[in-house]
Amino acid sequence: MISTTAKKQIDNWIAKYPTDRKSSAVMEALKIVQAENENSLTPEAIQAVADYLDMPGISVAEVATFYENYNHRPVGKHTIRFCHNISCMLNGSDDLIAHLEKKLGVKTGEVTKDGLINVKKVECLGACVGAPMFQIGDQYYENLTADKIDEIVDGLK
Amino acid sequence: MADIEIEIDGNIINAKAGEMLIAVTDREGISVPRFCYHKKLSIAANCRMCLVDVEGAPKPQPACSTPISDGMKIHTQNDKAKASQKAVMEFLLINHPLDCPICDQGGECELQDVAMDHGSDVSRFTEGKRIVADSDIGALIQTDMTRCIHCTRCVRFGAEVAGIMEMGGTGRGEDMKIEPFLAEGIQSELSGNMIDVCPVGALTSKPFRYELRSWQMNAVSNVARHDLVGSNIYTQTYKGRVKRIVAKDNESVNETWISDRDRFSYEGLSHENRLLVPKIKVEGAWQEVEWNVALDFAVRGLEKNVRQADQLGALSSNTATLEEFYLLQKILRGTGSENIDHRLNVKDIDNTISLESNIKLAGLEGVDHALVIGSNLRLEQPMINHRLRKASLSGASIDVINAMAFDFNYRINSENIIAPNQTALTLASILKSVLKSAHTEVPEYLGNAEVTEIATQLANQLTDSDNSVIILGEHVINNPQALSISNLISEIAQKTNSTILNVSATANSMAAGLAHFVPGKGGLDVNAMLAANLNAYILLDIYPQYDFHHSVQAIEALSNDDTFVISLNSFKDDVVSEYSDVLLPIASFYETSGSHVNVEGKVQSFTAAVNAPSDAKPAWKVLKVLADLLELPGFHYADSMQVTSEIMHKSYKQHVHDENIDITVKRGVNVIWQKSPYAVDVLSRHAVSLQDTKIGQINSASMNKATAKKLEITQGDNYLGVPVSISESVANSCVFVNANHAIRGQS
Repeated sequence: MISTTAKKQIDNWIAKYPTDRKSSAVMEALKIVQAENENSLTPEAIQAVADYLDMPGISVAEVATFYENYNHRPVGKHTIRFCHNISCMLNGSDDLIAHLEKKLGVKTGEVTKDGLINVKKVECLGACVGAPMFQIGDQYYENLTADKIDEIVDGLK
Repeated sequence: MADIEIEIDGNIINAKAGEMLIAVTDREGISVPRFCYHKKLSIAANCRMCLVDVEGAPKPQPACSTPISDGMKIHTQNDKAKASQKAVMEFLLINHPLDCPICDQGGECELQDVAMDHGSDVSRFTEGKRIVADSDIGALIQTDMTRCIHCTRCVRFGAEVAGIMEMGGTGRGEDMKIEPFLAEGIQSELSGNMIDVCPVGALTSKPFRYELRSWQMNAVSNVARHDLVGSNIYTQTYKGRVKRIVAKDNESVNETWISDRDRFSYEGLSHENRLLVPKIKVEGAWQEVEWNVALDFAVRGLEKNVRQADQLGALSSNTATLEEFYLLQKILRGTGSENIDHRLNVKDIDNTISLESNIKLAGLEGVDHALVIGSNLRLEQPMINHRLRKASLSGASIDVINAMAFDFNYRINSENIIAPNQTALTLASILKSVLKSAHTEVPEYLGNAEVTEIATQLANQLTDSDNSVIILGEHVINNPQALSISNLISEIAQKTNSTILNVSATANSMAAGLAHFVPGKGGLDVNAMLAANLNAYILLDIYPQYDFHHSVQAIEALSNDDTFVISLNSFKDDVVSEYSDVLLPIASFYETSGSHVNVEGKVQSFTAAVNAPSDAKPAWKVLKVLADLLELPGFHYADSMQVTSEIMHKSYKQHVHDENIDITVKRGVNVIWQKSPYAVDVLSRHAVSLQDTKIGQINSASMNKATAKKLEITQGDNYLGVPVSISESVANSCVFVNANHAIRGQS
């Protein structure tokens, strides 16, 4: 389930913690395993991480379901992480999300037919100054408008 | 910790510095509401129900996680405390469905009780409530997770007590729910305790679902007889039937937990297979008769068949009560026979374990080292294993010598998988190593034993520990060198100053010893009796195909045409009907008064929670009347307590220490035969829900590839009637049979 390369990466993280605290590497391990499984985690992947770190499966599942950055169903090549917290909401994020859903023909949580894009509503990304905003990959896109969204989305390949 | 004074609600109270406030209020009988706090679990402080006002603190403090200090002034009832408790209560009820009328917890619900005291009568919450989908977590626990208030007691119970974290809190905020990770069902042998710790109706007993309200039942204190602990329980009864069993606190026995076997075996009591009416066999045909007719027939049969006193034998299963053992041996000895035995599953009585335990159950958690030999402790003696787990968690090192690798729920220091025929030799090496490092003379019988590295390590662990225990389990009773093993352990324990815990004979076998239910001078043991073709037997709750080691020979001997067999049984059985001449229906667990003797020798008496069904009678009464009809003196008992006190005035100590030690390795394949955990006795075999659990499905003859090849067996075959499972976790030349003869049918 976990590739040798991934194991090596996880081992790097394990090495950063005391020897009897292997489980401290759980978040990074999940991230690494998620990256090699088309950006989502199956129960088997969670169990594999648990086995690798000598943790109960449920403990890893607790972590994996707590944080937004782990996905539990298939995602597209690009995930648009749309903030819908207070500042963005006050600046019209609900309408913009609706616009985006309409444009892509999918609801949040679903993947476009070509497997390219999915939209995920997320909590505050700390860019209230530029609300409304979303994140694609490592890039923040701020002060969004419907036109701006169309332009960004059309540019995704 | 120093004694300090604190003030709670205006009263000065002495306590130890650093104690948690809730522990003090509980001790003083001051009521503080709580959900997540449980005295045996770690402190989570997540429900916030126990908020109290501490003078000087800006905000109310949770009593469960506030350590006390000198001069602290606490108010549990003032406006600030009450307002916070009320506010928390309102929050907790936001998502609670308030479906008490259809909830099994209704009437015994902590949430209901606390809401009565601290809740508001009208809800201000008009929004929609959340709903949580249930997961099927097995045959014993019913889930209704919408009712869950996220106290995490079940999660902590799994992680801290059961030793396998099975439930967890997934998701977060509004989406958080308590669930197991994979839908495989809960596997712990202690899982039923989650029902007891759950303060709401989220986890309830599945077999008891929709049966009754708690206030409709009578709760009778009782003692479970499935293992060597004698866990204290409440049998909850309704209209003469046991409807549910819950744990009863007894710190020195079972603390506050019980095993699933003790909790759910009661289902067997109402199984359709119960023997209900006395029967006699006339010219090969069974007739249902009145008790007096059956007993007369039994007495006449004995008079006719027992021409010499030593032609009568008595055998009993290990689940009998102390009083039953005592009365049956008294009858036999009264008639002049010494043929008395209960060790039915022992292959050779002259070559088996004879060791006395000298450690208390509670003492087990204080050991700093344990050597476990021949036991899958977790499934065989769950509560003893739990004590050992506690010792392990506080730093004890545990070594194991077993013929197969088992799942322990604590860290094992060294797990040694050793073939049964090497066990004596291994112990001899350990003894030799101990003697050598103490510069003591090595006796001749240890001559051949080579001191291996492993033996040295195991020996050093025992020598270096101040408080070590050697635990001997049931896999060793039929070892080809069982007696030598027993003697070696006795020597090792003596030389290393270790205590001994002998769990090799289970259920109420300690009571058999106390009642002297073993052959006396000139008497025959079980195997000798069967070989001697006695003319008559009195059998107490025996099911030969499951109970005897030599079951084929036993059935043959008992089926002999001129052997008169009186069977006292609680359940029907075809084989028993085949060879018996009289069948007397007797009470099962919880239907009779009596006593259990646990592994530390503690005698725990109990009363009958319900009457036996139909015409069945408690065995002690049957035996008393039988004795009267046989005109034996000294059977004027009005109740079983009189029998108990008579036993307590006698003392049979019969520990024979024997120098007989043989450590030569015997060749050949060794079979360790064991009943699977939920089929240990007739009651558990008939308990339907237990059989539907993972543990209930254990039924395998495990061996490694090499052994399978030697025996010309492949995966999918049966060995001794049990499906073969090939696994390298078994020692060489060893077959580990875990047989489940559960009996299906209606309960």
